[in-house]
Formats: sequence, structure tokens, C-alpha cells
Amino acid sequence: MPSSDSENFESADEGQDHIKKNVRRKRISSSNYSTDTSEAEPVCDQVLSNSSRDTNIEKEKQSDGWDDFDIEITTENEKHPNAKVLSIKDASSVAKKDIDSIGTGWDDVGDWGQVEIVDKIKKDEVPKSLPKPEDQSNCDISEVTEKLAAASTKSGWGWGWGVDSLISSASAGITTITSQVSQGISNVLETSIGAPEPEELARKNIKEETNKEVLSDKVSELERNDKKTEQSSSAESTFPFGNLLSGVTKFVESTGTKVIAGGLDTLETIGKKTMEVLQDGDPGLAKKRAMLGLDSGDKPVLSQILREAKAKAEEEDMIREEKKEAKEVHYENLFDDFEGLVHLEALEMLSKQVNMRIEERMRSIEPEKKQDLKETLQQVAELCEIPEDEEDDDETPDDTSKPEAFHEKLQTATQDLGLKLQFQPLVKQYTDVLEWLSGDEQVGEKAVYKRAVSSLAQATALSVEIYHKTAEMLLVKPRRSTADEADALTQMTVVLTKHVSDLATAFTVKLNSIAADNKQQINEYATNIFLESGNSSTYIQNAFQLALPILQIGAV
Amino acid sequence: MTSGPYNYSYIFKYIIIGDMGVGKSCLLHQFTDKKFMADCPHTIGVEFGTRIIEVAGQKIKLQIWDTAGQERFRAVTRSYYRGAAGALMVYDITRRSTYNHLSSWLTDTRNLTNPSTVIFLIGNKSDLDGQRDVTYEEAKQFADENGLMFVEASAKTGQNVEEAFLETAKKIYQSIQDGRLDLNAAESGVQHKPASPGRPLATPPASRDNCTC
Repeated sequence: MPSSDSENFESADEGQDHIKKNVRRKRISSSNYSTDTSEAEPVCDQVLSNSSRDTNIEKEKQSDGWDDFDIEITTENEKHPNAKVLSIKDASSVAKKDIDSIGTGWDDVGDWGQVEIVDKIKKDEVPKSLPKPEDQSNCDISEVTEKLAAASTKSGWGWGWGVDSLISSASAGITTITSQVSQGISNVLETSIGAPEPEELARKNIKEETNKEVLSDKVSELERNDKKTEQSSSAESTFPFGNLLSGVTKFVESTGTKVIAGGLDTLETIGKKTMEVLQDGDPGLAKKRAMLGLDSGDKPVLSQILREAKAKAEEEDMIREEKKEAKEVHYENLFDDFEGLVHLEALEMLSKQVNMRIEERMRSIEPEKKQDLKETLQQVAELCEIPEDEEDDDETPDDTSKPEAFHEKLQTATQDLGLKLQFQPLVKQYTDVLEWLSGDEQVGEKAVYKRAVSSLAQATALSVEIYHKTAEMLLVKPRRSTADEADALTQMTVVLTKHVSDLATAFTVKLNSIAADNKQQINEYATNIFLESGNSSTYIQNAFQLALPILQIGAV
Repeated sequence: MTSGPYNYSYIFKYIIIGDMGVGKSCLLHQFTDKKFMADCPHTIGVEFGTRIIEVAGQKIKLQIWDTAGQERFRAVTRSYYRGAAGALMVYDITRRSTYNHLSSWLTDTRNLTNPSTVIFLIGNKSDLDGQRDVTYEEAKQFADENGLMFVEASAKTGQNVEEAFLETAKKIYQSIQDGRLDLNAAESGVQHKPASPGRPLATPPASRDNCTC
């Protein structure tokens, strides 16, 4: 591991503050999590309590003298709040104000900046001697090195623009920075001013730095690097802080040396203000950068995002599919599809209508006959009570099929009704179901379940339709025989409720015959099937109850 | 039975009325199945048909009540008018009597539906122009006088069948947009389903509660 100090200073003297800021954040997070820091900046900030953040900064102070400068910058920044007013779009004004701030920056350096920094350095000499966790520093250093190397590349250009050709190319520069920040640090420089890709340079830097063991050797190295970057930035290097570099190096060599050119502050101020300006214009920038992973050094973030998005979409698809599936086996929907609901609604309308007629008759009748009428109505209602324990254990004779037996029972039950009812749809459906169930075709438990719910819904809908049709036909029937009708409909109800329970049984038998590994799922399906068959019975009995006034009105 | 997509936003209840044999059930079949049923049996009480259509980008399920035209069912079918958003009143252009009875059907409709119900007059069997017994102009005048929409249609050829059902739906939809039709009114004949996944609004428990027996 190369010492990070020289790297830091290389970067420091060129003052690309927004990079440094990122580095610092990164270090905070990495020292806390010791993981790859692709986390968003704000997250880091939120996660870290103030105290822990401070601790981290303290630690970093221990490892290098770097953060001190930043602290200075912060103070200085506060002294120049006017910079915040800058808008990105207004490039020319940005330029002007930047010039201002440079000027004051210089003043500051002369006036106090230097002194303060020196004070800081003195203070920092104490904690520096304290021991420091090795792994953390390694981790930090490597990342920092990379970052700062990248920063240094740019800062070469930053200088050329920032100080030298600032006035002439200020507006262009601002635009460049704007796009640089929003589009990504790595390639904008290249595209906008033809500088080599910073990362590449950074890598070179790292390589070069690795070879250096002695700090003093780095002075020349750094200068070379500097030149290289400045050349590539196509800006003539008229580095007014030329001696700053060596000063910094000296500071590294002997921290006691008070030769620090205050230009650092100025540069950092420029950078920082620029960042602020940019973020003012684009409040979501920090978020965006975090999201795009620009703040972390590693690349795979975009693909990571895409991968996650894809996974999420697939998951949503699955949920949607399940919902669709659930709808397909939704009893009420199926019942509606088979027109059970609308028949029930129509039957209900008839029932209400007839009930009103009965009540009307009750009002118009002489008081002494009122009791008779009530009794008659009550008698009909009693006739319509479903026998509790009518367990018809008559087994189907072997020579008739189940659907035939079912049809026969329905006809026997309703023969005194005096109407010609259409049972064929119900019988045919039963036939189809039994055929399907006895088929050799290998069917999964899900298919059986779906078919079961659908069959129950259909049988129920057809049953409700029969009650509805019966009611309609009874109402137009010329001669009524209420007792027979009531008895017939009661028997029919028994047959129909037995039928839906038979259907359910047939399906659960089929379900249990499936050699499935998922026994729990099968049990769940079976339970649901019996639940829906109970539901079916309820519908059928409700339909029967709705038909009651139609039976009653025939008697009064 | 129409199974399929449940993602409609509205349910409109239609009722088809008119004398026996004017072709009410055939109009319905032409609309729902795009087929002509040559020997359509007499309807007992009421039969149903559904189709999902689209009006102004909104999917609407038409729940069509096709009533029996036989006089003996008149009392029964009168129970079914309530809550119809649209009423298709049908006569047979080749049988004057079916046209003459329109005022009676119209009276029933006015009495048993609500004021916002859209009434559409259909002169069916327009394919049998040679046997025409009612002129277009005469029927048109009757329609205009009573504020009805009107077309001559043929359940056999399908001519104007689609139009009659769709124009009715558009008029109903327009009434909703204009606020003339109150969706919250119990008998508007329109059910609004805010969410696309469909569960029938008239749930069975509600039906049970309404049972007054």
C-alpha cells in the first residue's frame, strides 16, 4: 500500500473540492460498513449519527492532515454566502462571482487562512501519534487514492481553467462543469475539452505512486503528473501556485513546516462553491449522482440497477399472474359469468314485487279474514322448510348413470309442480364433469381445483336459473296448487343441494387421487372446494326462499 | 354466458321490450354473438345477454335483459324495468300492430324506469322492406315527438343493430358525464366499478338481506 499522503496533497493543491467531498463521504461510509460503498450519499448521512460522523472525520484526520483544509474551507464558505445565489444557467454571472471569490480567497489566504491552517496542523500533531486500526486505513487509503488520483487528473485542467484562462473561458467552463457533474465525472472532461479519461490517468497515477516508496521522490513525480494533465487539458500551464506543490510536499515531509500556500483554500472554495451552485440549480443532483453510483468508484451500479429493476418487474408480473389466476377461480366471478347473479337479481325483483302484492292484499282485506290470510302464508312457509335429516340413502342403481339418476330425481321431485322445467343444462353439466373426472388424462391438482370451483359455480347458477324460471312460470300459471308446488320445490331444493355436495365430493376424490408431493396444497384445495359447495348450497336455498312469496301468492 | 375480462369500469343495464315476435331476442343474439337465430323460441320471462363495449375509452359491460313479449308475461316483465339505464323498444316494420302498441310500451317504460333512462326505438326487420307496414317517416316522427332515439334495424342482416346498442350506451355515458345520471341513485341502472378487477357489485349477501320473506 502506498502512503496516501502524497496523493492527498496532490489533490489538495489542485482543489477539486467536489471530488474530495465525495471521497470523504466515501470514507465515512466505508469505515463504517467496511463494504463496497455504492450506497447513496444521503443514506450514509442519515445512517451515521452526528457523533459517529465526527468520529470518523477525526479518524481521518489522524490518518492524513487532509480534512483540516476542508474545515477551513467550510468557514470560508460561510463568509461568502453570495456564491450560493449563482445559477448554473447564468454562466456569465457565475464566472464573475467566481472571480470575486478567487480574489477574496487570495485575500483570505494572506490574511488568515494560512495561520489557521498552521494552527490546525499543530493541533493535529497530537492525534496523529495515536494508533489507528490498520484495516480501516488500508481500506480507506486504497479508495481515497483512487479517488484523489482521479481528482488530480481533472484538477490539472481545473487549474488551467480556474485561474489562468478563467476570464476568457469562464462561461464555457461553467457549462463544462455543469455537464460534467450531471453526466458523470469520468467522460465529460474528455468530450468537452479533449482531456484523457481521468480514470485512466488515475490508474497511471496509482501505478506510478505504487513505485514510490519515499515521499520526497514524489515531488518531481507529482510535478510531472501535473504537467501531463495540464498538457492534456490543452491549457498552457501558467500555474501561479507553482511553489505550492513543493510546499505541500514539505509539509508532508515535516509537518512542522509552516510553508503552506493558502491557494489551497481558494481552490477548494471555488470547487465547493461550484458544487453548491450546481446543486442549487439541481437539487436532485446529489440524489441523482447517488442513484447513478457516480459517487462510488465502482462501475457496476447501472447494470445492478437494471438487474434489480428486471427482477422487480418479473416479480410484479408474477403477482399479476397470480391475481389473474385467482380471479379465474373466483367463485363469485364465475357465478356471475354463468348468469347466476343476474338470475338471482331478477328472481329477487319478482319476489319483492309479489311480496308487495301480498302486503297490499293484507291491507285491503277485512280484519276478520286477515288472520286466515296470515295463517295461510305461514302454512306455505312451513311447507317450504327443508327437512333437517332427510338423508336419502337410496343408492344409485347400477344400470343408471349418475346424471340419469340425478335427472330422474329432479323430475320426480317436481312432477307435481305442473310446469315443464328444463333440467337438461344441469344434467349435461354433470355428465361433462363426471366424464372429465374419469378421464385418463393426467391433470394437476390446480386444474382439478379450478374445474371444481367453476363446476360448482355453474351448477349453482343453473340451479338459481331454475328457481327464477319456476317463479316466472308459476306467476303465469293459470291454476295454482300451492301445497304441491311448495312440496315440489322443497324436494327440488334437497336434490339440488345434494347435487352440489356430490360434485364437491367427486372433485375432492379426484384431488386426493393425485400423487402429488404437495399434500398441504391439496388439502387446502379440498377445503376450499367444500367451502364453495357450502356457498353453493346457500345460494340455492336463498333462491328457494326468494321463490316463497310466489308460492304464497298462489294461495291467497 | 360470457366469461372473460373483468376489467370494465361500468355496468349498464338494458331492457329490451316490445310485442311478441318483433325480434327482441334475435336483436340481442345478433349483438352478442353476431349471429342470426332463425327459429328463436319464445322467451320465458326474461333472458340475459352481456357484452363489453367501449365508450370514450371506457370499458362498459352491457347487461341486457331480454324480456318476453307474450302478453301473459306482461306482469312478470314489468318487474324487470326497474334500474334499467337503457330501454330498447322494438317493433316490427312489417306488422303495424306492433307499432301501434308502442305507446303502451312507452307508458310502461316511463312509469317503471327513471327519467334518465335512455329509450331507443328500433324498427326491426328492415331487411323485409317489401312487406313494410310502417314507414320510416311515421316512426321517426313518433320517436321525435316522444324524445326517443330511433333507427330501423335488421337482426337478420345485422344492419344498425350495433349502432342501436352503442348509441344508447353513448347517450347513457354522456348523461353520466353531464351529471344528469346520478351513479349513486339506487335505480340508475349503472354500476360504477372504480377498480378494474371485477367483483360483481350486487353481491349475494345484499340479495339475502333484501329478502323480505
